[in-house]
Amino acid sequence: MSVLEVKSLTKWYGSARGVEDVTFGIESGEVFGYLGPNGSGKTTTIRCIMGLLKPTSGEVRVLGQRVAAGRATQHAHIGYLPGEFRLWRRISARSALRLLARLGGSDLAKRRRKELAERLDLDLDRPVGDLSKGNRQKVAVIYAFQHQPEVLILDEPTIGLDPLVRQVVLDLIREAAEAGAAVLLSSHDLSEVSVVCGRAGILRQGRLVEVAPIARIVQQGEHRLKVWFVEGTMVPHIPADRLPGVRVIQQKPGMLHLAYQGTCDAVLKWITQFPVDRIATQQTSLEEAFIQYYKQQHNLTVKDGDDSTAKGCSS
Amino acid sequence: MSYRSRPLFPFALLRFSFLRILPMWGGIALVIFLMQIVICGIVHDNQSVRTLLSFLDLLPSIVKSALGGQTLQVGNISALIAIGHNHPLVLFLHMFFAVGVPTALLTGEVEKGTMELILSRPVTKTQVYVCAGILTLVGMFALVIVMFLGTVAATSLYDFGEPIPLGMFFRNAINGGLLASAAGAVSLLAAAVFRGRNMAVGAAVAFLVINYFVSLIAEWWPHMRFLKVLTLFNYVGGPKVITGWPLGNMCVLTVVLLIAAISGGIIWQRRDLPL
Repeated sequence: MSVLEVKSLTKWYGSARGVEDVTFGIESGEVFGYLGPNGSGKTTTIRCIMGLLKPTSGEVRVLGQRVAAGRATQHAHIGYLPGEFRLWRRISARSALRLLARLGGSDLAKRRRKELAERLDLDLDRPVGDLSKGNRQKVAVIYAFQHQPEVLILDEPTIGLDPLVRQVVLDLIREAAEAGAAVLLSSHDLSEVSVVCGRAGILRQGRLVEVAPIARIVQQGEHRLKVWFVEGTMVPHIPADRLPGVRVIQQKPGMLHLAYQGTCDAVLKWITQFPVDRIATQQTSLEEAFIQYYKQQHNLTVKDGDDSTAKGCSS
Repeated sequence: MSYRSRPLFPFALLRFSFLRILPMWGGIALVIFLMQIVICGIVHDNQSVRTLLSFLDLLPSIVKSALGGQTLQVGNISALIAIGHNHPLVLFLHMFFAVGVPTALLTGEVEKGTMELILSRPVTKTQVYVCAGILTLVGMFALVIVMFLGTVAATSLYDFGEPIPLGMFFRNAINGGLLASAAGAVSLLAAAVFRGRNMAVGAAVAFLVINYFVSLIAEWWPHMRFLKVLTLFNYVGGPKVITGWPLGNMCVLTVVLLIAAISGGIIWQRRDLPL
């Protein structure tokens, strides 16, 4: 059974679509990346999971219990880091965190809070209003992790953090998952998603267009190949009929830079007909795959002239 | 796995909000307390009363109506002491608290972004609303009690030459506390309905100001007297308080309080907050 289940979740704001028919689940110990550009519906999904918004239809279950809007369903077991973390400015970070930990129960998080502050190198006794943006984000991280939750909902957890602290946060996410927590990680930083997440969902205009392991999403992207031919060899033209989906990025005397999708088998078989000097391949990043994914989806949409051409979600 | 589905009442939030509003409450309570002493200091001396009444006679008659109307006469000590309860500054301070607290604790927290954090903990929306309601209603009642204690202190400090009916002032204070709490409940309703704090404050202030001026005009202009029953201020003070508990008035104010507070709670729970 999934720790976090989202089933056919739909949220409309009047006539504007927030998310539509979103379905996915997260298991215990899994870090799930939730990707999409601004306005694609990530925060709407997260707020429906947290019961901060009432879905138009569909349901969310956390630890087996159906989420009812405004009823704080299982919130004692959820660590939440909102996209915009704002605290009372006049009180110290310690007081604010203590209050939030005590809400709905006793403050058992004191030791963990101290440990997290040390790892993140943060002085908790300064007023929140005096903290820099990065330090406020550290407070947000402590807020999400301090009560050792079984479910973590993290909306852009590393925004505004320097690379060293970012690494600490990624370590915290990994450790939480190893301890059995289910983590939903919404982020624009695809490099961090590819490092910590096993699976990811891609949102586009409120619809979940893909849920797949990171490796598969990367594989679906465009791969690059540079081929240097033996001196004096004419650079061949690509037979579009035999190699569909292969395109030339750059062509110079003796060198061909190609982009292809899927496996490289057909491309290599074609290239080996010619006297090749050397070949270089580049590792496709999740970021490239994500951008290409969006381009493909956009092209499909434009071709059909309708949003409904977006691929249906799979979980 | 077994998990408790109903969160405990968030006493930590109640305590935190109480400590936040305490300085404002303390300041308002101090001014109201001192106002009673100042007013009693003026009205305990017949010469000062005559000067005060002569001064009021120079002003438009509506001002005198606001402070007690025709009951303000030399010798009517109770009516003169009650100026401290009806004074526009005292009413303004009560209304400032009634409007300021619920809008700060509900729409104010939403605008600041801290409501999202509160609601991400095991705290329901209804519990947040109840916390704001408790602090508003208890705070309003406490202000009225402070006002009564100011009158008690002032009557001990000054010699009026006749016994002061403190029982009447106590009944008046409780009746006034209900009026103030009803005003607080209307502000809670406004805070639950409107998206922005300014809108909520504007709506609550407009409701109270219109009520106040309609009541004043109805008191001052005999042709408009029929309007008085439509205002909240009709249900406080008056001759009924002199002889006993004004139960009718108190029932009307309690009904207004309950309707406003409960409908505000239902709306707050059901609507999506603009987080």
